[in-house]
Amino acid sequence: MDRHFDEELQNVKRKLVEMAALVEESITKSLDGLKKKSAEMASEIREIDHKIDELEIAIEDMCIELIARHQPVGSDLRFLIGAIKMNNDLERMGDHSVNIADCIEYVIEGPHVAQITNIWSMAKIVKEMLRESVESFIHNDAARAQKVCERDSVVDEMRNETIRILLTYMLKEPEKIGSAIQYLLVAKNLERIADLSTNICEDVIYIAQARVIKHHAEEKKA
Amino acid sequence: MIINTANLNLYYHKFQALKNVNMSIKRNLITGMIGPSGCGKSTLLRIFNRMNDLIEGVRITGSVLIDNDDIYAPVYDLILLRKRVGMVFQRPNAFPLSIFDNIAYGPRVWSISDKKTLTEIVERSLAAVDLFDDLKDDLRRPALSLSAEKQQRLCIARLLAVEPEILLMDEPCSALDPIATGKIEELMLDLKKKYTIIIVTHNMQQAARIADEVGFMLLGELVEFDTAKTVFTNPKDKRTFDYISGRFG
Repeated sequence: MDRHFDEELQNVKRKLVEMAALVEESITKSLDGLKKKSAEMASEIREIDHKIDELEIAIEDMCIELIARHQPVGSDLRFLIGAIKMNNDLERMGDHSVNIADCIEYVIEGPHVAQITNIWSMAKIVKEMLRESVESFIHNDAARAQKVCERDSVVDEMRNETIRILLTYMLKEPEKIGSAIQYLLVAKNLERIADLSTNICEDVIYIAQARVIKHHAEEKKA
Repeated sequence: MIINTANLNLYYHKFQALKNVNMSIKRNLITGMIGPSGCGKSTLLRIFNRMNDLIEGVRITGSVLIDNDDIYAPVYDLILLRKRVGMVFQRPNAFPLSIFDNIAYGPRVWSISDKKTLTEIVERSLAAVDLFDDLKDDLRRPALSLSAEKQQRLCIARLLAVEPEILLMDEPCSALDPIATGKIEELMLDLKKKYTIIIVTHNMQQAARIADEVGFMLLGELVEFDTAKTVFTNPKDKRTFDYISGRFG
């Protein structure tokens, strides 16, 4: 039997995918702005973030209404709980993208410190993780989500490497500490975006298979 | 708006069953009336097709307008009202006739006797309640041989045959199991595209699932009337919250 409720769940999914596309656009633009040292990009990113914030409120509202009115159970309940958490994670990613954009104005006059770090390769992986997390959500694909989670430690390691490189650089050239700190912040924000993509994937696994993998919960149980 | 009540009161002799009810029901929405037994929700429903007129000692004050016409005005055509406003009851009340004759009953009252026209109406009405494919080769079968859910669908089809605008449903799923209830609810959600539906239900979850707007009644008073979203996520009156959260009722 086709249920009208299923259509409403699909609407939530569509809105989340729309929000994820905006987040990806925002991150791409903030990194692009950083690379090109383009201050104009920052205001564009704030506009996108405003749309992301509006969607967050709308999606949360839809989920609350569906839970209150339909009292979902089983996979429907897991989907709505997962959707609320994913909604929150995507909004936070938008904020991290704004944080990256905020760094642009401080590096415009400075040297291209980023060239000596692995920020761009880190950014590439982080964007792939975001895209894959959203794809795994769209296709309800736990195996695909699991692969994204496994990449989180790679990003953590790259962030640590960036910190090491930048510390060495700052020690050698203290007059460039101002710019270097901005790139430290960029690395930190990229790493947080990767964490949030991992969170989304943990939610996808919960939605698809009712398994809780966060905080090594399954290992602890065993 | 399709229905407006103003300062509506109803008395059974000295007992006041409805107290100053003011509400506006919108076209092509499902309006759900909830409340504990004896709160007046069925009495209110029967106001809209004047079914209470049949009860001895009933006295009504205030006004009930449908499309701005006062349905309690002495000149109002009661037969026309019953055509415009159909009613589905708790238990399916199919007539002891064939499926075809059940649905053709109303149109025949309205003097439609042409076989081709009647057949078209029967087929269209059965299709609207998603019964046509099942029953198209069996239209002469006794209606009472159908399952309870199909009989209830048939009763809805019988209403649709006279092309009403408003469907009143008094606990339409109370005699059905959860699967059949789900099917009737899906049917209601389809029907609201063409009809205005008012449903009285003991099953609060049912109102939450399908109603666009919800009225909570208590002791004859319309305590709260708002969108289903507001009533179930942020009710304004503590009595509504206590009822929908299971604290009483």
